[in-house]
Amino acid sequence: MKTKMLTCLTLLLACGFGLFVFADSHEKEEDMNKLVFPKAYKTTAVSNGGKISGVVKFDGEVPEMKKLEITKDKAVCGVTDKFDEALVVGEGNVLKNTIVYLMDISQGKDFDKEAKPELDQKNCRFNPHVQLIPVGTALTVLNNDKATHNVHIFGTSKNNTSVNKQQTKNRKKMRLTGAKGAEGPVEVKCDIHGWMKAWVAYVPHPYFAVTNEKGEFTLEDVPPGDYKLGYWHEACGTNNKEPVKVTVAAGGEVKQDFTLKLKEAK
Amino acid sequence: MRSKNVVYLILILGLLSVYNLIFAQDAPEVSEKGKEVYEESCAHCHGTEGRGDGSAAENLLPQPRDFTRGLYKIRSTESGQLPTDQDLFDIITEGMPGSSMPGWETSLKADERWEVVAYIKTFYDGFKESETPPRQISLEGKIPYSEESIEIGKGLYTQFACFECHGQVGRGDGTSAPTLQDEWGFQSWPANLAQGWNFRGGNDIDDIYKRFIGGIAGSAMPMFEDPAFGLTIEQSIRYNELDNKVEMTEAEEEEYNQLDEKMGNAFEILDLMAEGSADEEQKQSYATAMKAFYEKSWHLANYVKSLSSEKRPEPAIGKNVLRSQYTEDDLPQIMDAAWDTLDSSYFPLVGQIIIEPRQFNPTIDSVNAKSFYNDTEVAFLFTWDDRTNNTEVKENEDTGKTFEDAIAIQFPVKIPKSPTAEKPYFLWGGRKAVYLWEWKASAADKITELTAKGINNAEEQEIQGDLQVEGKYTDGQYNLWIKRALKTDDKKDLQLEPGVFVPIAFSAWDGANGDVGTKRVISSWYSFVLEPVPSSRRFIYPPLVALLSFGLLVGLREFVRQRNT
Amino acid sequence: MKRISLFTICFAIFIACWVFLRFVVGGVISVPIPSSVISMYMGLVLIAILVHVSVEDTRFREFLRPIHETLVGENRRVRRIVLAVLIPLLMLGYTYSNLAQKANPPGDPRDAHPSPPLELTYKDEVIGSMQDVENPYRHYEKDDPEKFKSHVENGRRVYYQNCFYCHGDHLDGKGHFADALNPLPANFQDPGIIPNFQESFFFWRISKGGPGLPASGTPWNSAMPIWEDHLTKEEIWDVILFLSDYTGYPYRTFGEGH
Repeated sequence: MKTKMLTCLTLLLACGFGLFVFADSHEKEEDMNKLVFPKAYKTTAVSNGGKISGVVKFDGEVPEMKKLEITKDKAVCGVTDKFDEALVVGEGNVLKNTIVYLMDISQGKDFDKEAKPELDQKNCRFNPHVQLIPVGTALTVLNNDKATHNVHIFGTSKNNTSVNKQQTKNRKKMRLTGAKGAEGPVEVKCDIHGWMKAWVAYVPHPYFAVTNEKGEFTLEDVPPGDYKLGYWHEACGTNNKEPVKVTVAAGGEVKQDFTLKLKEAK
Repeated sequence: MRSKNVVYLILILGLLSVYNLIFAQDAPEVSEKGKEVYEESCAHCHGTEGRGDGSAAENLLPQPRDFTRGLYKIRSTESGQLPTDQDLFDIITEGMPGSSMPGWETSLKADERWEVVAYIKTFYDGFKESETPPRQISLEGKIPYSEESIEIGKGLYTQFACFECHGQVGRGDGTSAPTLQDEWGFQSWPANLAQGWNFRGGNDIDDIYKRFIGGIAGSAMPMFEDPAFGLTIEQSIRYNELDNKVEMTEAEEEEYNQLDEKMGNAFEILDLMAEGSADEEQKQSYATAMKAFYEKSWHLANYVKSLSSEKRPEPAIGKNVLRSQYTEDDLPQIMDAAWDTLDSSYFPLVGQIIIEPRQFNPTIDSVNAKSFYNDTEVAFLFTWDDRTNNTEVKENEDTGKTFEDAIAIQFPVKIPKSPTAEKPYFLWGGRKAVYLWEWKASAADKITELTAKGINNAEEQEIQGDLQVEGKYTDGQYNLWIKRALKTDDKKDLQLEPGVFVPIAFSAWDGANGDVGTKRVISSWYSFVLEPVPSSRRFIYPPLVALLSFGLLVGLREFVRQRNT
Repeated sequence: MKRISLFTICFAIFIACWVFLRFVVGGVISVPIPSSVISMYMGLVLIAILVHVSVEDTRFREFLRPIHETLVGENRRVRRIVLAVLIPLLMLGYTYSNLAQKANPPGDPRDAHPSPPLELTYKDEVIGSMQDVENPYRHYEKDDPEKFKSHVENGRRVYYQNCFYCHGDHLDGKGHFADALNPLPANFQDPGIIPNFQESFFFWRISKGGPGLPASGTPWNSAMPIWEDHLTKEEIWDVILFLSDYTGYPYRTFGEGH
């Protein structure tokens, strides 16, 4: 009896140590700013799925949006005023551009195959500021300016997937294949116009949403079950340490609001 | 019981070692040697874990490479590809000019360098995982270096929008230059194409071509794309011509639209190719368009090559010292063509790291100087490259605080009488004072005479106005013209005399690089001389000597003849 | 067979001596001799030749014969004319090039390794006599290798944070700032540097920098900072340990015959 217990204990200890080594080398600070993806995802037909919706609000003093200095190509870029979109807070302190998603979903619906993610460059501003791209789908980048841009999608620490392509005024449309695996959100920048910044997240399943001007998000057709609900925001960070647990019933609706604070300055 | 515990302890250890064994087998075969060499020679900058965070990294810009991301700037492979082993080996061997990465050819044996290549690859899993070797950039269809090619390349330079960052004539002064950052968020200045000796990946035409095609990963330098894809060189030039026309005739409009459509189709095919859904015919026209693009890139590479001298010029030592040329006429003004008749003297500059605050990452490479003098005055033309024209102190959230650009030219107050006599300390004097001309970009027509007895101990002279000055900033370059009388009434000024070698030194500030006060670039003492007018004796004495020697010969013959008789 | 004249032999010897000094010693053996020294040697050679030929009357006459013939000989007309043109022309060219030559700036005679002061100090604190002071961490090399290693590692850090800009990654004086300096930074890989000096000498040179040199070392030219303003005593001793550890050269120690 005791022998068995000790054996178990030994194995447990060994595993624990192994895990410890593993976790130690991987739990880096930068991971805290990333999305959490399930190990695998299987598409199945979802019937009578549930719905998760809510509003993301900002808690804290709302700083005035910083007006960006247009340092060049004023004829094209200067026609509209541009602001730093890192923190867009609407009436009632609602927070735009927050990604809300299910961290641990392992099966569910397929992506909307019709959707073609687009990143527009107009008057030297990226639109949208935050968007989701299904893994393996090409991003169509539009240039609606009489100016040369370069689309620089940053790589992450783990993948050599940095993409940096010039898009001159002659090229109105360019399709870019980015990361082959799930990653992000990663920064998109136009180096020529240093103020142009946006974010893209390559996601492995469709249970991701970006909050709109009203701070609202909706995740639909969620198979019934228990999930961890996560968020990411450029300026407010993530809740990777303490995800919210939700239970979705068949055909049911779950309301879950979030209140975010600015990331602590390092 | 106790003995059993020991057994279990051994068991645990055994399990752990098995775990370690499995773990170790995952790693590619790397010899201890590579690790050893890496830790001895590389880790102090690149960090023991290859994160580019070694103890010396803090003060370096460009920052040491972070090997864990697999992003390598200098590659012979296509965009988005890993470098080849040979690429890594070459960088280790030759170093990266203009950065703090030296070549290791002399200090590491070739096999040691290969071991290091194998070792740094272990920092990034992608090397292990990639099944196919990285696609290399083909150098086929290289166009020979020629005047015509350079001319074509010059046109393409504008069309390819290189000027956005590298500036109109390539001095790295494009309008986007001040805001460029690399993916790590560090300021990343575009290359000054007139200083090829600082190109990180070398300045052979092939090297330049590879940077176009492959981009410089992690930096703002994108993978190039033909802005007039699908058009031949002639068509591209024509398209650009039409594009810049304010008004087009109907025929021109039609021509323009045709070219535009051709281009549009080619771009369409480019996207189809990327998705892998192009048909045979499309593949064919893609190949034709790519061929034209490669051709254009070779012309562009030839043009970029033509912008710089092959090697860093020789510093102004020995025969190269700054020699002021005598002229009987009035001295030339700042933009006078007369200056082009002189060779310039090259004074390399380095960061001031002697007195805090220090400048570890200078952006000004050097200052060039020329000079003329006549019987009463001397004029100088100082030229130096600076990517930005900073005329005021500015606070910027993204790029930090910037200051004004400036330069100071330094002489001793009194010329040392002999080579062994004491000179003032080269860094703005000390026990002995120096005489300085300080010019700031904010007041281009003003220059201040200073007397200094130390870098933090400079005083404006009471008597100003001995100097005439004009400063200009164009295309990433300052031209500063200064004129002064050879002799002044001010006792604190240096007095000049032809034929006397005068020590000269420089300090310069690039405000965009945070240069202010002691944070600056400096030079050692060099020499400057009002080159004496070659004396007219050189036309009188030699014929006299010749005549004399002839006379001597004749005399000798006569003497011998007479003795014989 | 025509006998080679004494004049020709003397002339050939003279030329051969010059070629030997200028090209064999200066080029092949590569110990360039200053032109003034060559002139001096050639003067000696000339005197030696003249003494040799003028010892005997007949020999002197034999030596002068070709000159004599060239000057007045009936059948030496062509040679005479050629020489009468050539010699004045050579003189013309020589004088002209001498007069037209640009002067070079005076050299900077510098004692690269001037003698140190008698006392070793750090800032104002006296450490001891220059000859006797030893590196306080040197003994760890034998007593506590682990501790010694940590001092060397600290020295490595100090070196790469402060020194390598000029003295180079390889300690060979070819750092990326070196190009612009005059005099050039010291090359620690040079076998004539580390083994010739005590650690206390290095401590003096590092702590006091360029401005601490005596006048013979031209302190006004040296870009070596006064490191005691930036580094602690321990950091300086550690970097001294590192220099020798990296290059493999031991410092000179007292007692090896000074």
